[in-house]
Amino acid sequence: MGIVTVLWEKWVEFRRDFYKITLAAMVAPLLYILVFGMGIQTLSHGQSYLNYIIPGVVALTTMNGSFNAIAQNLNVQRLYEKAFDQVMISPTPLWQFVAGQIIGGSLRGLYAGFVIILLVTPIGTKLCFNGWSVLIMFLNGAVFSTIGVLVSFYAKNHADVPRFSNYVIMPMAYLCNTFFSSESMPHGLREFIEYLPLSQTSSMMRSIANREGFSYRGILVLVAYLVVGSIGAFWFLYKKKNL
Amino acid sequence: MIELKNLTKKYDEFLAVDHLDLKIETGEFFGLLGPNGAGKTTTIGMLSTLLLPTEGEIYIDGERLTRNSTKLKRKISVITQEYSMRQDMTMDEIMEYQGRLYYMPLKKIRERSEELLDFCDLLKYRKRTVRKLSGGMKRKLMLCRALLTEPEILLLDEPTAGMDALSRRQMWNLLKKLNGQNLTILLTTHYMEEAENLCGRVGLMNGGKLEEINTPKNMITDLGRYAVDSMTEDGMTSQFFKEKEDAIAYLSGLQEEASLRSTTLEDVFLERIGKRL
Repeated sequence: MGIVTVLWEKWVEFRRDFYKITLAAMVAPLLYILVFGMGIQTLSHGQSYLNYIIPGVVALTTMNGSFNAIAQNLNVQRLYEKAFDQVMISPTPLWQFVAGQIIGGSLRGLYAGFVIILLVTPIGTKLCFNGWSVLIMFLNGAVFSTIGVLVSFYAKNHADVPRFSNYVIMPMAYLCNTFFSSESMPHGLREFIEYLPLSQTSSMMRSIANREGFSYRGILVLVAYLVVGSIGAFWFLYKKKNL
Repeated sequence: MIELKNLTKKYDEFLAVDHLDLKIETGEFFGLLGPNGAGKTTTIGMLSTLLLPTEGEIYIDGERLTRNSTKLKRKISVITQEYSMRQDMTMDEIMEYQGRLYYMPLKKIRERSEELLDFCDLLKYRKRTVRKLSGGMKRKLMLCRALLTEPEILLLDEPTAGMDALSRRQMWNLLKKLNGQNLTILLTTHYMEEAENLCGRVGLMNGGKLEEINTPKNMITDLGRYAVDSMTEDGMTSQFFKEKEDAIAYLSGLQEEASLRSTTLEDVFLERIGKRL
């Protein structure tokens, strides 16, 4: 029930800012596709570079869509508007509030990903996006929504969220198997990057897009991030003495 | 009944609330008074579970209050000192969100919202976003939101701050009416007149400690029901007398400009706490 309340709140937000949300989801990914995929025409891994980057761009779009939908919004509600206080005071179980944020954020990420898939359809890339792709996009969104929840909870001021975005989200967007394979990275760094959630998502999305099948290990890694992140968020809400 | 047992809150080394023991009976209107930094808001914060105590416990109707206490939290509504509302939501959305957070059926949320917004003269602004409301309107909306869920306990942290005189009087009348319907109210305020008019009992807080609990009337009687104000070189000073005759005798002996009046709760506050600040 509390989950439905949060989803209703997200729906109100989405309905009101529909155009802003949709445009924001499109601009950066389309620029990546235009500049790297269509502008700089080249081959990568035996296929057109455009085909190579589209699954990566879809993955990073779900990441950005989910993280941005939660982190900044919740941070403002907690530190500036204090609207989060009413949630804390209410009888809605706090775990349901967090679960609602995670699901709501995943749906926003999924929406952003769908917009990009829809926009690249006319290019005729013949890439495959199926039910597994949707599940992976949803899971990726869930992981980054959870990270968004954590960042907004631990942020001490409004600048902390953009700061986290600059130091963590943006480097991930470029390094995690999105624009080039992590195989070319130096030993040590490569292993680290491969275990980041976006790397797993990009790899799985690309394998599915090329009809190659994928390793379920990636799903397990995403679930592990989701579980650890959720525990962190629950701990904060139930145990933190001063919110 | 609300019971605070040995309630303590520390922020690092700063002791905000110092081993507070307090019982508020069901249906009581209790006021917490004190200067800035006395620990009033921190106490409300712990009662609303926004802050967890460093020591001590809170009991509502004999059950311990924690962040997990879904059943107990249903009984409580809070009006915080800050506006605590999403700025981009309309009044209708604010009310619906609150109702949903308290598991109210949609039909009831809509009926009661309309009733409350109408009562507070806000109905015509119901589609307006919070960002576009005046401070007083936001306060009224917070009251509507708090009452929507039909609470048994209402925690009010300076609820009339920023309200004009008329709105404040309307709020007082409403709070009195609600208290008459057995709603337990805990109020913190800087307006002594407000506490004197509304509260059955008040507690004076200072430095995190509850220094005195009594009815406003008893506090005034203890200090002396008659006050003589006189202007001296150091500014205005007040002397208090239990008997009117004594006050008049003192007044007639004064050379400087002076006047006789009834003692107020503000005098009690200034005498007990203000002089030590």
